[in-house]
Amino acid sequence: MNMPAVFAVAKLSFREFFRQPEAVFWTYGFPLLMTIVLGFTFRPAAPPLIRVAVVASADAAALCAVLAKNPRLAVAVLDAATADQSLARGRIQALVRGPSGDLTVRADPMRPDAELARLQIERALRGGDWQGPHQEAEDRPGARYIDFLVPGLVGLNLLGAGMWGIGFNLTEYRSKKLLRRLFVTPLRRSEFLLGFLLSRLTLLIPESVVILAFGMLCWDVPFRGSMVAASAILIVAALSFVGLGILVASRARTVEGVAGLMNLCQLPMWLLGGSFFSTEHLDGALGAVAAAMPLTQCNNALRDLMLEPKGLADVAYPLCFLSGFAALSFTLALRLFRWT
Amino acid sequence: MKSDGLAIELRGLRKVYTRGKKTTVALDGLDLEVRRGEVFGLLGQNGAGKTTTVEICEGLTQQTAGEARILGRCWRTGMDQEIRARIGVCLQETRFFEKQTVRETLQLFAACQGRGCSVDDALALVSLQEKADARQSQLSGGQRQRLAVALAMLGEPELLFLDEPTTGLDPQSRRQLWDVLRAYQRRGSTVLLTTHYMEEAQVLCDRIGIVDHGKLIALGSPQELIRSLGADTVVEFSVGDVNALDEGAMRQLPGVQSCEIRGGKVTLTVALVHTTVPPLLAWLAQRGAELLELATRHATLEDVFVARTGRHLREEESA
Ligand SMILES: Nc1ncnc2c1ncn2[C@@H]1O[C@H](COP(=O)(O)OP(=O)(O)OP(=O)(O)O)[C@@H](O)[C@H]1O
Ligand SMILES: [Mg+2]
Repeated sequence: MNMPAVFAVAKLSFREFFRQPEAVFWTYGFPLLMTIVLGFTFRPAAPPLIRVAVVASADAAALCAVLAKNPRLAVAVLDAATADQSLARGRIQALVRGPSGDLTVRADPMRPDAELARLQIERALRGGDWQGPHQEAEDRPGARYIDFLVPGLVGLNLLGAGMWGIGFNLTEYRSKKLLRRLFVTPLRRSEFLLGFLLSRLTLLIPESVVILAFGMLCWDVPFRGSMVAASAILIVAALSFVGLGILVASRARTVEGVAGLMNLCQLPMWLLGGSFFSTEHLDGALGAVAAAMPLTQCNNALRDLMLEPKGLADVAYPLCFLSGFAALSFTLALRLFRWT
Repeated sequence: MKSDGLAIELRGLRKVYTRGKKTTVALDGLDLEVRRGEVFGLLGQNGAGKTTTVEICEGLTQQTAGEARILGRCWRTGMDQEIRARIGVCLQETRFFEKQTVRETLQLFAACQGRGCSVDDALALVSLQEKADARQSQLSGGQRQRLAVALAMLGEPELLFLDEPTTGLDPQSRRQLWDVLRAYQRRGSTVLLTTHYMEEAQVLCDRIGIVDHGKLIALGSPQELIRSLGADTVVEFSVGDVNALDEGAMRQLPGVQSCEIRGGKVTLTVALVHTTVPPLLAWLAQRGAELLELATRHATLEDVFVARTGRHLREEESA
């Protein structure tokens, strides 16, 4: 292995990156912005209002008054057609149809917020003073949605920046015939790809640290487990995603082509990778698919380490999984890689 | 071993490009030997197959059939790394990483090559010191070309491939490159270059091969090639009404080897000026053609090139 050449390629990739202000923004600025926006959206605050429509009829106004006693509900009277349409478009979470003796609540049970609406409507109908069992808001740091979200965003960001950063550049260099000249030097593919990998890794890790630090400082997201273990997870996860990026870009001839392949790889992970909601409970084929995704392993391990006092031994499985995934994708990429 | 003295040995090289149903025969059984220590020039019209030949030698393109030996080795037989360490390449069109400076680009390739001269020496070789810290995107076409040449020489290779290295260079830079290449050759290195400048081929190359339609149609030193015309003087003249002249009749004049009428100008290649010119003048006078201009000069490679790739060839084909 010609290490000076590996470092020279790493430097090249570094400079190409930092001399493109827009690339720097989309890699560093954008994920951070996304974290901030999402973080503020889900930060602990008054729970959001549930929008409900009452279908216009003789006693609609009275019904409205009853429902409005529940402060969680925002109630409006709509004619039947508008109410139906609003429900279909998701502008309201449920609609209530009279007469008052025989009420119907219409909502899509597949939407989580619909069940919530049903519950709040029932509570209002039982009389404004009915509270049911005592309510306790879960607001301890480490148990809120934001605490769930921040590790997921770190994972998602590693996925996006890792894959796009390398796959896009490699394909662009190939399609612009920049790699042809390097090909006729004694530089080996392994040295070339390793150089790229190194430069990406050194860009990705600080990025994750920035997001984590932001969450911890601004929203008191806890870090209860081992930082060493978390660093290890971050590194192998970054390697996995960069490896996957190289693999996807190993033969693509055009930037458009590689963009399609990237989306094909990333979209399922956005949905099932457990960044926005937990997929640990999924079973069957879907569960198996989710568990086979590097993003799932990364997210779960990061959550274990941040939200619970866990250590290296507890994340041994994801650590091995991600290392294996990185090794496999890099090996495959090395075999498939084309210079021209 | 027989091929010990050869830097490049090409046997029956064929290259066919296929895209869908369309096939292009770029090389059609090309044989070529380049000896160690010589500067060899490949000439040929656009699309003749020069770049294809050179890129097969560089291992960039794989031939459809035939054999290519580079420094005694074949590509794709596990020797690629070794060959690459010993050759230097300047492609016909080289694109570099836009955001890198000249110096950074040289440093990158120096690291890849792993040995050779210093970056500063390479800069001096092509007089690019002033532009050392300019980015690729800020270079002129000729400056980029000079950088490409510098990169090819960086590893002090035994065998240098230069595909149209002087295209886009100003006369000074061109001459400077010739000097560099000669100095290079004196150290025992071999150069294979392509060019469209006949003067360059004539002063720089020890031997020349002319490629046409994927075949080698002439081979030899510039002097040999010129002598092969059978005539080393050229008579050029123009008359008031070119249409009054007839090529066939002029070829019958004493000592005339070939005749070409182009753009109102007649070019005759002749063995000896004094045996051809008096009868020519008499012949013109007899036809009442008014002589506007008459000049004689020594035949050059350009005359060989035109004779070999131009009219003659097409006449032979149609015959
Ligand atoms: N990638 C390709 N696909 C299809 N045809 C090609 C390809 N590359 C070259 N050719 C064809 O092969 C022939 C030889 O091309 P080549 O580039 O070797 O010519 P050349 O002698 O270098 O010409 P020039 O003086 O213009 O550089 C041409 O007819 C060209 O159209
Ligand atoms: Mg060419």
